[in-house]
Amino acid sequence: MPLQVLLIEDNPGDVRLTQEAFRDSNISISLHVATDGVEAMEFLRREGVYIDAPRPDLVLLDLNLPKMDGRQVLTRIKEDDGLKTIPVVILTTSDAEVDILTSYKLQANCYLSKPVQLDAFENLVKSISDFWFTKVKLPPRGHSTKPPNEIPVVRK
Amino acid sequence: MVTSGIRDITTHKDTEQDLAQSEAKYRGLLEAAPDAMVVVNQDGEIILLNIRAEDQFGYPRDELLGQKLTTIIPEGFAERLIADGLRTAAEALAQQIGTGIELSGRRRNGSYFPIEMMLSPLESAGGILVTAAIRDITTRKNAERHLAQTEAKYRGLLEAAPDAMVVVNQAGDIVLLNIRAEEQFGYKRDELLGQKVTTIIPEGFAERLIADGLRSAAEALAQQIGTGIEIYGRRRDGSDFPIEIMLSPLESVEGILVTAAIRDITTRKNAERYLAQTEAKYRGLLEAAPDAMVVVNQGGEIVLLNIRAEEQFGYKRDELLGQKVTTIIPEGFAERLIADGLRTAAEALAQQIGTGIELYGRRSNGSEFPIEIMLSPLDSAEGILVTAAIRDLTTRKTAEAHARELSRSNEELEQFAYIASHDLQEPLRMVTSYTQLLSKRYKGKLDTDADAFIAFAVDGASRMQRLIQDLLAYSHVGTKGIDLLDVSSEDALHRALANLHDAIETSGALVTHDPIPVVLADETQLVQLFQNLIGNAVKYHGREIPAVHVSAVRNGGGRWMFSVRDNGLGIDPQYFEKIFGMFQRLHRRDEFAGTGIGLAICKKIVERHGGKISVASEPGHGSTFRFSLAGGSAKS
Repeated sequence: MPLQVLLIEDNPGDVRLTQEAFRDSNISISLHVATDGVEAMEFLRREGVYIDAPRPDLVLLDLNLPKMDGRQVLTRIKEDDGLKTIPVVILTTSDAEVDILTSYKLQANCYLSKPVQLDAFENLVKSISDFWFTKVKLPPRGHSTKPPNEIPVVRK
Repeated sequence: MVTSGIRDITTHKDTEQDLAQSEAKYRGLLEAAPDAMVVVNQDGEIILLNIRAEDQFGYPRDELLGQKLTTIIPEGFAERLIADGLRTAAEALAQQIGTGIELSGRRRNGSYFPIEMMLSPLESAGGILVTAAIRDITTRKNAERHLAQTEAKYRGLLEAAPDAMVVVNQAGDIVLLNIRAEEQFGYKRDELLGQKVTTIIPEGFAERLIADGLRSAAEALAQQIGTGIEIYGRRRDGSDFPIEIMLSPLESVEGILVTAAIRDITTRKNAERYLAQTEAKYRGLLEAAPDAMVVVNQGGEIVLLNIRAEEQFGYKRDELLGQKVTTIIPEGFAERLIADGLRTAAEALAQQIGTGIELYGRRSNGSEFPIEIMLSPLDSAEGILVTAAIRDLTTRKTAEAHARELSRSNEELEQFAYIASHDLQEPLRMVTSYTQLLSKRYKGKLDTDADAFIAFAVDGASRMQRLIQDLLAYSHVGTKGIDLLDVSSEDALHRALANLHDAIETSGALVTHDPIPVVLADETQLVQLFQNLIGNAVKYHGREIPAVHVSAVRNGGGRWMFSVRDNGLGIDPQYFEKIFGMFQRLHRRDEFAGTGIGLAICKKIVERHGGKISVASEPGHGSTFRFSLAGGSAKS
C-alpha cells in the first residue's frame, strides 16, 4: 500500500507544484489535499465525506490557511491521542523566526520553507520523499493510540 | 563791678570834711549800685547800707545801722572778716577780695535766701572798713538746681540707651559719654572726657559737626539729624570697626551740643557682606543654569529670575518681579506652593522637591508651551523661598511625538516587510516556478519565439525575486533593533563565507584573512556586511582568479578599521560615492546581475553601528572597501 500523505495547502499553484514534484520523484505515494484547516481536520478525523479517508502516514502543512490556520491545525493534531503520532512537516513560504519557533513549540516534526526557484523546490520535495519515505521508520500503522514517538528514527 | 569804683574812691585820704563830702558822694554811688551794699566796720557792725539792702533783707535802714552783720548774714561773713591768730584781718580780707562767696542771707522775717557776696576794703578815718556787695542769687540757684536735675535725668537716659552715646560740644570735644561708649571704644570715661571726638571717630563726624564756611554748625547739624551715617570708629587699641551714628542736637547752657548715638554695625556689615556674596554667588548660579529659573516667595510672588526665564516667557525682568507666578504658570504651581488646610507650606513643598512636574507655561503674548518644573526650597532672610527650575518641553514633546511617529512607521515598515516576505513572495513564487516549469517541460517543443518569451518571463521573475529579497534585507537593517554584543568578526566572516560557498566554489576565488578582532556588533548584520562585500569581490572579477583579503587595524579610540581588498575590476573614482546609493549599478545587466542594493545595505549596516564605510580603488587594479567598528569590551 502506497504511503498516504495529506497536503494541507490552500494555494492550487502550490498544490499542483507539489504534485508535479512528487510525480517527478518516482516514489509511489498517495497525495491527498485539504485546502483549509477545517477540511484537514475532517479528513484526519474521518468526518463527513471523509468517513472512508485513510490515516495519513505524513502531513505536509502550510501555516497560512483560510478558516483554521496551520498553527491551529498543528495544535489539534498534537493534542489528539489518535493523531499525535503522525509526523507533521511544516511546508510554508514564511521564514520568519517567530513562525519557526512557534511551530516547533507546537511539536512540528520539521520545518521547511519553500524555495523560490523551481529546481530548488523540486530538490526539496525529493529530499522529503528521500528522508521521510525511505529513511525514516514511521510509527506502525494501527497502533495510533500508543504513546507518541515523534523523534524520527533514522534507518541505518 | 561796683567795688572797683569804691576802691578808686578809697585812694583819697582826707579830713572829716573830706569824709563828709566823700560820704555824700559815696552814698550816691552806693544807692546807684544794682546790688545790696553794706559797709561793715572791724567789729562786724553795719555802719552804712543802701536802699537795695533794706529791700533785700526787709529791714528799715535804722533797724540795721549799728547791728551786727550776723543779723542778716548769720554765717560765713564774720569768719572771713575776722582774722584768725595767724594772719591779720587785712590779709584775710585780701584773700577774699574780688571773689564771689556764696552764703545765705536772713531776712527780717527769718527766711533765708542764697546770696553771693563780693568784699572790698574801704580805708577810712575809723580804720579799714569792708564794703560787701550782696546779690540775691535765688533765681540763679533755682536755675542751677533745675539744670542739675535735667542733667541727671539726661544722664540716666544716656546710660539706659542701648547704643554708645557721646555728647560733643561745638568745638568737637567730648563732654559726656555713657558706659556703652566706654566699652565700645575701650576707654575709661576720664580718658575721653575733654578729648576731641576725632580720637574715637577719626573721620566724618567732625566734618559733619563743624560747619564749613558756607553754613552754620546748626545748619550742618540739621542736615545730619535723624540720618544714619556709616563711618568708622577707632578703639583705644587702634583697631577700626564700622559704626552707624545718629546725631541729635542738645541745647545746653554751653550752647548747642551734639548727641551722637553710635551703633557698632560689625555684625550687620558682616551679615550684609555675606548676604551680598551669597546673593552674588546665587545669582551667578542662577544665570549659569541651563533652565529658566524663577524664585518665588510664600505669597506666590516672583522675587528673582534669570535671563533664560526672561527669554522663555518673553518678559523683561522688571515686568515679572513682584508679579504672581500664576502670570507665567497659570495652573499647578501655586496650588503646589500654597498649603491646603491639611498640611503646611513646607510639607506641601517637601512633596514636590526633586519631582519633575509637567505643567504649562504662558508667554507674554499669551501662547502656552509645555514645561517641566523642579522645585527646591531656598532659606532666606524673608523665609523659605521656592526656586523653580523651568524647562521648556516643547522640543522634547515634539521629539517624543516624532519618536512615537517614527516608532509607528517602523512598525508599519516591519509589517510591510512581513507582508512582502510572505504575501508578495507567494504569487511571485508561482510566476517564477511555473515559468521555470514551462521552460523545463516545453523548451524546444514549441517554436523559438515561445522559447524566447518563456526565457524573458523566467529572467524577469527571477530578478523581481532578488529585488524583493534585497529590499527586504535593506528594510530589515533599518527596522530591526540592533543588538550590539561582543562578536567575533572572524566567526562572522566564516559564516558569510559559508553562505557564499557556491559562488566562491564556482569562481574558484581565494579568500584569506588576518586575525581579526572581537567587535561590538549585531552578528547577523556583520555577517551580511562581510557577505555583501566579499560577494561583490568574487562577483566583479577580471580575468584573474578572484583573490580577497580581509584584515583589520586599530583605528584609535578602541575602534577598528576593517579592509576587504580584492583584485577585481576596480571602480572609477567618480563612482566612489554613487555606489553606496540605492539601486546604483555600474554594469549592464548582461554583464553582471544585481539589484544595486548590496552596498546600500553595507552602508546602512556600518552607519547603524556608528561607523563609516569608504572605498579606495583604481580601475583594473582591484578595490579596497574599508569600514570602522567599535572594538569589543573583551580582549580579542
